[in-house]
Amino acid sequence: MVAERAVVVKNRAGIHARPSSEIVKTAARFASSVTLALDGLEVNAKSIMGVMMLAAPFGATVTLRAAGEDAEAAVNAMAELFASGFREA
Amino acid sequence: MPRTLLRGIPASPGIVIGPVHLLRWEVPEVPADVIDPADIPSETERLRIALARTIERLRVLRERAVRDAGAAEAAIFDVQVTIVQDEELVGRAMDLVAQQFTAERAFDVVMHDWREHYARSPHAMVRERVSDLVDVHIRVLTILMDLPDRDPVDLPDGANAVLVTRELTPSLTLQLDRRRIAAIATDFGTRTSHVAILARSLGLPAVVGLLDATSRLRSGESIILDGTAGTIVMRPTEAELHAANVRRQREVAEDADLAALASMEAITQDGVRIQLFANVDLPDEAAEAAANGAEGVGLMRTEFLVVGRAAMPTEDEQYEAYAGVVRAFPGKPVIIRTFDVGGDKLPVGGFPSEPNPFLGWRAIRMCLDQPGIFKTQLRALLRVATLGDVRINLPLVVSVDEVRQAKGLLAAAAAELAAGGIPHRADVPVGIMVETPAAAVLADVLAHDVAFFSIGTNDLVQYTLAVDRGNAAMASRYTPLHPAVLQLIRRTCEVADRTGVEVGVCGEMASEPLMAFALVGLGIRQLSVNPFSLSRVKRLVRHVRATAAREAAEAAIAAGTAVEAERALRERLAAESPAEFHDS
Repeated sequence: MVAERAVVVKNRAGIHARPSSEIVKTAARFASSVTLALDGLEVNAKSIMGVMMLAAPFGATVTLRAAGEDAEAAVNAMAELFASGFREA
Repeated sequence: MPRTLLRGIPASPGIVIGPVHLLRWEVPEVPADVIDPADIPSETERLRIALARTIERLRVLRERAVRDAGAAEAAIFDVQVTIVQDEELVGRAMDLVAQQFTAERAFDVVMHDWREHYARSPHAMVRERVSDLVDVHIRVLTILMDLPDRDPVDLPDGANAVLVTRELTPSLTLQLDRRRIAAIATDFGTRTSHVAILARSLGLPAVVGLLDATSRLRSGESIILDGTAGTIVMRPTEAELHAANVRRQREVAEDADLAALASMEAITQDGVRIQLFANVDLPDEAAEAAANGAEGVGLMRTEFLVVGRAAMPTEDEQYEAYAGVVRAFPGKPVIIRTFDVGGDKLPVGGFPSEPNPFLGWRAIRMCLDQPGIFKTQLRALLRVATLGDVRINLPLVVSVDEVRQAKGLLAAAAAELAAGGIPHRADVPVGIMVETPAAAVLADVLAHDVAFFSIGTNDLVQYTLAVDRGNAAMASRYTPLHPAVLQLIRRTCEVADRTGVEVGVCGEMASEPLMAFALVGLGIRQLSVNPFSLSRVKRLVRHVRATAAREAAEAAIAAGTAVEAERALRERLAAESPAEFHDS
């Protein structure tokens, strides 16, 4: 199964270190492979080293992709995390 | 006689007398050994155990940080735990062990790779993470190589130590337990390094930029650190210890009074209102400045956006950086200076090295020659001006042509924004830094074309006296109270008065009470100082009469030399205000 969705970075500071860590923790709960893509760069959402490299700023549209049995659930959980603005202002 | 006074940059005020704790927070040298193929499984296990122990250690540090500094600050250790667990990073290190690398060498190689990758990123957000990678790098290698743990938290309670290190990473700064560490001294860093800002928020005195403190000081030796003056006294004499103790007690007693001043007006004994603004070098400092009672931002420097970067910041990135400061000062003036790069601050990509950079291609000269870069900044400034009272300040102006050219580019930027339907304000006031003798002498000509003068005393002193302010051998000749400098400031004030152009001072000079007294005497009614100097300057203003300051300034100008000018000011200030100003 493959799932894909576009999400917007809603917290002012963008995806800095702490949100990156949250993304990795969320992605790690799923068996599917999960990636984030922005401006032609696609990174493994289960690797903080990759997620931090993305440097997604406030307002950026990031593409979530998952492949595997629980791909749909993985994308849903990730989209929810983005929608919460990583619980920051 | 051996040198016993070390001079650095004052980063956080306060005086501490205590023993040195030398912290070597450096990546250890890793020998280039190989292992026997038979040892690969045990070596893999060794790496796994070291990573697990690092995570344990980080969790302990995180708990302590939650307790001492709060959950938000402690999150940095969560991030580091996630890095140590990173499947790609660990996977690569394990692959190298499988190729007969020792565990430490495998980890070292992988971390060096990532650090280089991160350091080269065009995004500031990514480059800022290099310090976390360095922390993880050091911690894991320390455990693998069985080196002594060097965390500052491992000092005994009540040590009252001065932490001396090359450079403090944010996570180390967080561990600065005040029961053990009383002050910080670093070889590197500037007043605006993240650690300097954090030290101020923790109330820890700090001196940074000492260059060679780690090689001159030994663990255990007793020193006097003065975070207000930016000095360290080695092997202090009885008299020096006594004087430091007296001043320390006085500063502690004054702290409470100073805090109360934040909400009071800066008004002299004879009713002259002085506007007190803050200098802001990084958006993070804006909140600190507002909390300390700044009535606006007299100088927002924008060099942090370009210095040490791989690529120029985008218009949006600049907009966000400026917006952070403007939002912290709703409805209040925020004077933003366009890029002042060159000289000692090298911009993106490096520029030709010049035999005499302070007299070369820098500041407004560079901006006018690179209209693409300059216009991007001007567009961001015109857009952010919709959020508050933004004003644009041009550095190093020596001629009215430069102002007119810059205004031409500003009009072009406004036209582009208008054509694109992008919200902006086209009538942003434009002023100049008066930091060359040329600008001060020509103030009456420049006044026709500008909305304000901002006197930058650091450069004005340097260019007027032909003394390099970065040259330690010239330090005694760098005298801001030289009558020539005072005359140029007075002249600029007189022109401003006559023409209705606003005038303020935003150099280091305004931060020191004696100098601030002189500036008020010369006619300055707007001072912009470091966020942590606001209360001290405000207290001075509230204790003196503007008429007495004017007489003192006239006496200083008449004195003829810097030494005599200082004496004249000091005598009058002593007569004017309480004893605490006598040695300021």
